[in-house]
Amino acid sequence: MKKTIYIFSDGELHRKDNTLFFETESGRRFIPVEDTGEIMVFGEVQFNKKFLEFLSQKEIILHYFSHYGYYMGTFYPREHLNSGYMILRQCEHYLDELRRLTIAREFVRGAGKNIRQVLKYYHSRGKELGQPLETAEKLIATIDDHDSITALMAVEGNIRDHYYHAFDIIINDKDFTFQERSRRPPKNYLNTLISFGNSLMYSICLSEIYKTHLDPRIGYLHATNFRRFTLNLDISEIFKPIIIDRLIFSLIGKKMITKNDFDRDTEGISLKEKAKKCFVEELDNKLKTTINHREIGRSVSYRRLIRLELYKLEKHLMGEKPYTPFIARW
Amino acid sequence: MFVILVYDVNQKRVAKVLKKCRQYLHWVQNSVLEGEISEANYKKLKMDIEKIIRQDEDSVIFYTLRTTKYSSREIVGLQKSSNENIL
Repeated sequence: MKKTIYIFSDGELHRKDNTLFFETESGRRFIPVEDTGEIMVFGEVQFNKKFLEFLSQKEIILHYFSHYGYYMGTFYPREHLNSGYMILRQCEHYLDELRRLTIAREFVRGAGKNIRQVLKYYHSRGKELGQPLETAEKLIATIDDHDSITALMAVEGNIRDHYYHAFDIIINDKDFTFQERSRRPPKNYLNTLISFGNSLMYSICLSEIYKTHLDPRIGYLHATNFRRFTLNLDISEIFKPIIIDRLIFSLIGKKMITKNDFDRDTEGISLKEKAKKCFVEELDNKLKTTINHREIGRSVSYRRLIRLELYKLEKHLMGEKPYTPFIARW
Repeated sequence: MFVILVYDVNQKRVAKVLKKCRQYLHWVQNSVLEGEISEANYKKLKMDIEKIIRQDEDSVIFYTLRTTKYSSREIVGLQKSSNENIL
């Protein structure tokens, strides 16, 4: 599988000898283009149009993040999988309230059930999670009763709310308490980690969407608007609990990230570079790990799982097979 | 699949071969590159190299491993380049 390049150092990216070249004060490195799928830029990196042209040609996506680690944007190369047909199907399902609800419901169900799975796992490991587990079950059961997007969003928000409060019981570390969800900027350590992880997840989903015929601008649970990509937000909901949250638990549990890894800025809190690298490295490893997929009967990586989800959605939009979200079983 | 590529070509063509290989593989040390490569890209690289080299003078060897599970890699002395994907 093509690799993701993460750039934290400051330097210049070039096209050189028909491949990628990264030059910093301390060193220079050639990066094989043919083995590169996406580039994530965290440092101060310079490049020129020639370089962007080259990325377009090779269909490599470039995501950039601000100094604080927030997702800032993407260089989205020219669409290479143009499919008017798929866009029409996507719009059709968006414009028809009922059809949109069907898809949005599945996204909420996927998110909810994966959250339940995470809670279940820690419950069986002796954490007192009976209460949140019960509430999650109850809320998941009501998904089919709601027939407006706002109501669905509310259910999702409620599930998440109870879930986030269960974090304190799971993590059980006084440095990492949840308090309340705060964003832009996050106000405590745990929120900072959640925000950073979610940003990465959104960009990864976007990269996967680029490799399909789907248009990321048309989401179903998140309303399509003038500003941003939304389909990747929808898909992320399903995978956030099983990829990002579990990663956070293990990073804190293994003391790979401690309270000394944060910087207190004027307003919020941000991660130090070392911790960002550690997070990203572990995430990369996680995405590469393979699991046995029951339906297709072979092992697939977490990253591929995201793509399969998109293929399922395509099938649904074409009317071949109704979409059901991926639910983790472990 | 994982590939280790070593080449011994006439000095005139060293740069050409190196440049081509860098598009697909990570440089390890002089005349040696390695890396994960897809079946299709492997064929592409092989064809491109065949076009560059002269059959009667140069030699390029590909060692391919289906997985790196049973292989290990040990460096004695200097590590000339890293192929980390976090820079």
